[in-house]
Amino acid sequence: MAREITYVEAIAEALDEELSRDDDVILFGEDVEEFGGNFGETEGLYEKHGRDRVRNTPLSEIGIAGMALGAAVGGVRPVAELQFADFAATAGDEVFNQIPKQPYVSGGQIEAPLTIFAPSGAGIGAGAQHSQSVHSWLGNVPGWVVVTATTPYDAKGLFKSAIRDDNPVFFLPHKMLSETKGEVPDEEYTLPLGEAAVEEEGEDVTVVATQLMFHRAKEAAAEVDADVEIVNPRTFAPLDTETIAESVRKTGRLVVVDETVERYGTQGHIANEIVENDFFSLDAPPKTIGVKDVPIPLSPPLEQEVLPSADRIADGIESLF
Amino acid sequence: MTRNISVDDETARRFLEEMLRIDVFEEETKDRFGEGEIPGFVHLSGGHEGSHVGMGAAMRDEDWLAVGGARLIGQYIAKGVPLPEIMAELYGRVDGSNKGHGGQMHVSDVDRKLYGHAATIGSGQNPAVGLALAEEMKGTDNVAVTTIGDGGTSRGSFHTALVFAAYWDLPVVFVIENNQWAISTPSESLPPDSLSDYGIPHNMPTESIDGSDVEEVYRAVSDAIERARNGEGPSVIESRVVRLVPHFEGDKETYRDEEEYERLKEEKDPIENYRERLIENDVVTEAEIEDMIANIETEVEEAVEFARESPEPEPEAAYEHVYRMPLYGQGE
Ligand SMILES: Cc1ncc(C[n+]2csc(CCOP(=O)(O)OP(=O)(O)O)c2C)c(N)n1
Repeated sequence: MAREITYVEAIAEALDEELSRDDDVILFGEDVEEFGGNFGETEGLYEKHGRDRVRNTPLSEIGIAGMALGAAVGGVRPVAELQFADFAATAGDEVFNQIPKQPYVSGGQIEAPLTIFAPSGAGIGAGAQHSQSVHSWLGNVPGWVVVTATTPYDAKGLFKSAIRDDNPVFFLPHKMLSETKGEVPDEEYTLPLGEAAVEEEGEDVTVVATQLMFHRAKEAAAEVDADVEIVNPRTFAPLDTETIAESVRKTGRLVVVDETVERYGTQGHIANEIVENDFFSLDAPPKTIGVKDVPIPLSPPLEQEVLPSADRIADGIESLF
Repeated sequence: MTRNISVDDETARRFLEEMLRIDVFEEETKDRFGEGEIPGFVHLSGGHEGSHVGMGAAMRDEDWLAVGGARLIGQYIAKGVPLPEIMAELYGRVDGSNKGHGGQMHVSDVDRKLYGHAATIGSGQNPAVGLALAEEMKGTDNVAVTTIGDGGTSRGSFHTALVFAAYWDLPVVFVIENNQWAISTPSESLPPDSLSDYGIPHNMPTESIDGSDVEEVYRAVSDAIERARNGEGPSVIESRVVRLVPHFEGDKETYRDEEEYERLKEEKDPIENYRERLIENDVVTEAEIEDMIANIETEVEEAVEFARESPEPEPEAAYEHVYRMPLYGQGE
């Protein structure tokens, strides 16, 4: 059976279930207790699970991320929230140098089964330091499993897997999707990490998209005169290139749209994987669409200008025919 | 003559022996590095041996050590990692503690509760707080000891770790090994009278001690650990030492005043001073010390042989340990 819940409710459910399932799971971050998180994602958890398991931290991402690393090495499973994905940078050393590398430099001795989660993405007029999509930053550092969520179904199933995975996982819900509703099973489930999902089948062109861009790609698909297959990577690192390649072998065309900036974004990497390894399955050059190479501006018309719109995606799709 | 030894004879002899072990191991490391057998950088501990050994002796095997500063090898030894595993890691060989993935700056030994070092200095203290949190959640009375140099205390991450440890009153002991230099930058210019004063605004017990006296370090760190074990929270200790070696092998030390340096070598060498003290107090004889050194030299030679004979990793091993596969739920 399934019911409709919001994306944020799905996140809170995932946390609640994992806190109940495993005593080693501990949730901490800024304002996760009574306040319940900026988007309501931790609402009710403190009241239910108590102060040992759900803890407010002082305001320092360095402390949150660094402490998560130590706690994970020490044998618990921390789930640590950063209030915005942009703050991966305020814990730069922990996020880029320490967490993804300690298991490696230890020769596999150190296990760091932690999850950091942080709302990412633009669209709510939150400005240049609260709107970035950071999965290309993170994907650039081997060692992180980088996961995003597109629907409430994704959000719950992937978050639960992230918490159970033995690697450091960075889980990036999208703040614009917080209130979107979708079907989520009543019964317990998880979704595999590292596997892309073909969300919509089509014959003429493959569009790779997640999060808000997935929803815009769907709108674009309805506008164009082509049968569009939409692939949702779900995990950006390690990337399930095979599912994407298989789709392109079928359709012969590829559009990658993502909310990372076009310059050195994820789009280029995904397109490159196909160009290098499956060039002859392409009937047209791949098209990459991302955020324009500027910081995210605040004013809504400016913000929408730099984000890929459904129209830009539709134009991108049509340009391949 | 009054006895000025605060520990029993056996402990005193062990302290001396452990300091000599660091010294002999590091002299050999220096030579092997000089001969090009050890890749990368080498930072040695000369002058810090008393601080390392006193701290190591104050810890139980089950307590975590998160190494900081740049004087690393002596701390690995003080935590009890076998010499052959350390040497093989310095060589980057498969039998090294980290299978050659870590090297001098990253020796870790999880089974011995050595977290290892954050080579971006000052980033190891928050993980130490997390380790303490994990121990507390598991209901043990184990503590986390974490070291840092004077230089590293200028980083925000160090101060954040103090905030977090105090916020939850966690069992952490912060040891600042102030050897007066961060490469060529003098700690004298840092404003606090003692670097342990950084704990004052957090209401932590603080103490500044002569870190070149192994017994003094043993006492101060033992006291701090005992407080932490008893649920009395974190402490900060400044262990004042002298760096009797270059920052790293190859540093010409043009920034140091030679006369002052010579004077410090005379006055503050923890091994020489302790050796004299034990002899004066009839705890050991010269001959016994010579025996100790001979035995350690054999151990160290064996460690070098072990490292040399250990194979280089196969190039494909570079791809191991990035991820634990399969990822959760994969292939279902
Ligand atoms: C974050 C960071 N900045 C700079 C360096 C380069 N570096 C390595 S050791 C060192 C000096 C460290 O001084 P201190 O913390 O006093 O330790 P000591 O060398 O005296 O043991 C510097 C600047 C580094 N490794 N990490």
